[in-house]
Amino acid sequence: MNRTSILVRRVTVWTVLKWTVALIVAAIAIFPIWWMINVVFALPGEPVSLNPRLWPSSLSAGIDKIHMILTETEYLRAYGISVAYALLTIAGVLLIGSLAAFEFSLFDFPGRRLLFGVVMLSLMVPTAVTIIPTYLLTSRLGWLNTMQGLVVPGLASAFGLFMLVQFMRAIPKDMIEAARLDGANHLQIYWHVALPLCRNALVTLAILTFMQTWGNYMWPLVISTRPEMYTVGQVVGLFNSPLSHHTVDTVMAANLLAAVPPLLFFLIFQRKIVEGIAMSGTKG
Amino acid sequence: MKRINRIRAGIAGAAALLGSAGAAAAQDVTLEYWVYSDFAQGEALALQQEFIKEFTDAHPGVKINITGKGDDDLTAGQVAGAASGNLPDVFMNAQSVGAQLVEVRALANIYDKWMAMPQEFRDQFDKDALASCMPRPGELYCIPYTGFGSLLFRNLTVLEQAGIDPSTPPATWDEWFAQMQKVKDAGLYAIPDETLVFNSIAEIYATSGSSETWGFNWDDRTTRIDPAIMTKVLQKFVDMAPLTSGTSRNDQATKDLFISNQLAFHTVGPWVNPTYDEAAKTSGLKYDFVLIPGDEPGKTGGIRSYEIVGVAPGPNMDIAFEFATYITEKQQMVRWAKLLSRYNANAAAMADPEVSQLPLIKVSVDAAHGAMEVAAPYFIDSVPSCYNSTVIDYAAATADGEFTPEEGAQELIAELNSCLAQ
Amino acid sequence: MPSARPAFFRRPRPGRNMPMTLRRYLPHYLMIAPFMVLFAAFFLYPILSGLYYSFHDWNGVKTPEFVGLDNYQTILASRDFSRAMTNLLWYIAITVPLGILVALGLALLVDSFTGRWANFFRNAYFLPVVLPAFLAATIWRWIYAPNFGLLNMILGWFGVPSINFMNDTDTMLYALIVVDVWVSAGFNMVILLAGLKNIPGELYEAARLDGASKWQQIIHITIPMLGPVLFFVFTYGFISAMQVFDKPWLLTGSSFTSYGGRRNALLFPVMDMMGRGFGGVKFGEAAAYGFLLTIAIIAVTALMFTMRAWRERK
Repeated sequence: MNRTSILVRRVTVWTVLKWTVALIVAAIAIFPIWWMINVVFALPGEPVSLNPRLWPSSLSAGIDKIHMILTETEYLRAYGISVAYALLTIAGVLLIGSLAAFEFSLFDFPGRRLLFGVVMLSLMVPTAVTIIPTYLLTSRLGWLNTMQGLVVPGLASAFGLFMLVQFMRAIPKDMIEAARLDGANHLQIYWHVALPLCRNALVTLAILTFMQTWGNYMWPLVISTRPEMYTVGQVVGLFNSPLSHHTVDTVMAANLLAAVPPLLFFLIFQRKIVEGIAMSGTKG
Repeated sequence: MKRINRIRAGIAGAAALLGSAGAAAAQDVTLEYWVYSDFAQGEALALQQEFIKEFTDAHPGVKINITGKGDDDLTAGQVAGAASGNLPDVFMNAQSVGAQLVEVRALANIYDKWMAMPQEFRDQFDKDALASCMPRPGELYCIPYTGFGSLLFRNLTVLEQAGIDPSTPPATWDEWFAQMQKVKDAGLYAIPDETLVFNSIAEIYATSGSSETWGFNWDDRTTRIDPAIMTKVLQKFVDMAPLTSGTSRNDQATKDLFISNQLAFHTVGPWVNPTYDEAAKTSGLKYDFVLIPGDEPGKTGGIRSYEIVGVAPGPNMDIAFEFATYITEKQQMVRWAKLLSRYNANAAAMADPEVSQLPLIKVSVDAAHGAMEVAAPYFIDSVPSCYNSTVIDYAAATADGEFTPEEGAQELIAELNSCLAQ
Repeated sequence: MPSARPAFFRRPRPGRNMPMTLRRYLPHYLMIAPFMVLFAAFFLYPILSGLYYSFHDWNGVKTPEFVGLDNYQTILASRDFSRAMTNLLWYIAITVPLGILVALGLALLVDSFTGRWANFFRNAYFLPVVLPAFLAATIWRWIYAPNFGLLNMILGWFGVPSINFMNDTDTMLYALIVVDVWVSAGFNMVILLAGLKNIPGELYEAARLDGASKWQQIIHITIPMLGPVLFFVFTYGFISAMQVFDKPWLLTGSSFTSYGGRRNALLFPVMDMMGRGFGGVKFGEAAAYGFLLTIAIIAVTALMFTMRAWRERK
């Protein structure tokens, strides 16, 4: 009886603490964004930065603004370009990266260490160094202002490879052996055994690649010089000019609209991260 | 008599343009035209597209693609474009990056073509603005386009609250400073912290100094800042320190303080006017804009800066130059000024009665004339980034009390010279 | 019964010539080929290109002029470089461990909820990651504003005088770190959550039956099982922290003409590189700067790999 009541009390304290901390952190995470949303839904001449905006003051002004941005600038087209850029990059990175990660994490072959080392080294060279030579190469291939120019140079992602290798290392070797004894070839082992087991990693990598692609500024800046190929980042950049004649609420509206697709993507895909993966099926 | 001469001049100018058009007709050329992001949105874009249509109608076979980019992006894009051979043919940018653009051969010397233009055309432009495009004899790198002179925005409600009569603007620094103190005594903020941003430091320096005592001496790579004047100016920053809002002239917070009647003065360019205009409609903000007073009556402070239209060297240079002269010509500049209510470097356009009535333009013309060049001379060499940061650091440190104004001025100039010497 | 095993599963006999070895390992090479080819073209070649240019004076247009180690010497001697590297070392020493600790805490926190609440908290914590950097920087500048910014307002309630967070050289770095963690925690949390979900539930069951407390479970099951993922998050965290650029650039309102904030307190190597490259059009120098930074990053990462190998050997 005594032990149970102590247990109950401990659980309660822990629960209260847990909920308090979780809610406070959620507030810290959400509050600045809520503030910005209220900046958008305000009249243009209002002082928006002095005191935190706790509620929207003019829904109609905000809707007008958003409507203006979506119809009068090339924003919708930029959405299309950015989404295509992101999805193509994700497909490529996941496929090419997982093929290579499969090999590097589970097998040994001559040159494995060297090749992996070289790829890891490339992570350590800042992008700013390689951007001009990569740009010149892409330009010589005739890929300026094209989707392939945006996507292809980023496909061999060392970040993706590194992450997938770390997750795939946990795949038990005996599952691989079992599949091989069943007569599966290399590709089939990859497809039917390894990929399902690192599903969480793949979904996470997809989400993070989307975020990185969406927020990529320098690369589209040099590759997409024509407004028809502008990404969302570039269109938003037009509003963010320091001496721009836009009022701050319009600028913030343009920025917030840029945050919508990544948020949607995240909301849709993070549900796919399954609880308690089927790794437990190794025994026997 | 005058009227006939003007008509003759107009016909001569038009004939010159169309004449050269005839020569260049019937070639299939596509020009890439890069402009500031503001000019590629909304009504401004519509007017630019009208200009383009008018030009291409007169020049069959020519197509012009307009692209808008933000400030730093214009430069980065041009530098990258120069490396890969994908330069814009005609473009806008700021004078301050002119030297870099010349170095990467993105910006051509158009002196000869310029001199071939009729005198009436060349006379349309503001002399000072043109001079800043001509670093040395025989060299002209740009046609000056839009620009600004710093203005002093005054919140009339705050002034009244502080017991200041807003009907006459302050004529000298001392008058202005006295007003600032009165605002502080009324419990409000007088002015943003002018030591936070290079341009606002320059604006205050200009109340005592001039274009000759600011900027660079590229021959021996030293700064032209005068120690005595700098000492005086640093003292001003020290005096203003207790009166500032702590935010810079570019911060949103400064604009918000102004709008909510907590800030009296805002020294800045005309781009804040749309915000204040909206506020006047929404919350009844009462404000005006006047010249920044200098030390003596008749002298003004503040800086001026121009955006330029430049042309890249290459096979399309002739047509690109023609287009550049078209959009900068008086008629187009009048239409441009009327639409944006903004000052530009075509003095003839500024004098046009429809334009000169606009209040913002009237003041801007005077402000630009009396202002100080912010980073002249241009187009000779690129300014190392340590320069601006050093000016800011020493101004702020002196205002914080780390140096006396004399020490601050001396050390600042020594640091600047060593920065330039690299 | 002889097993009908395909040719490439047969063990290689010693002394056979290369084609046999190649055939044995062929499937491996084929699988990594797409990655390696793209990598060689779009990463290796540009890196070697950059290395080449680092020994030349190049503005992007004129023919590169060989200058040997001049670029490297100029940079090593410049005061900006030592300032940037000092800032960087302080920055990574605090922000990476702090960020990962917070991310791990958040991941465990989210993991302890189920269903709708778990979703809510996970989405909330990830929200800062989807924001464009400019937006995040703007809102935090407003929060940090002196005299009347949100933080100073709150400090004012406790009688603390206004702190100029973004302009006081003592506070600028910490102000930056707060914004950084605010964004990166969500990013790392998602990775760690994926790792947490991969830990079989039976391990926790077994531990609970053995009487282990929540803390003990975390220390003895969660963290060891998260080993490879934690290693990834740490290493990548360090590598990307050493290349920090957009947050300090935006928070200080930098442009190519003036960057780094008051007294260069928020000057970091990549910012300086961008300034020299695009601002001063000195790409050779910028490349040399980049490689000096690469050497520093390699040193830090080598340290991490050695520590892991040392731990694994135990």
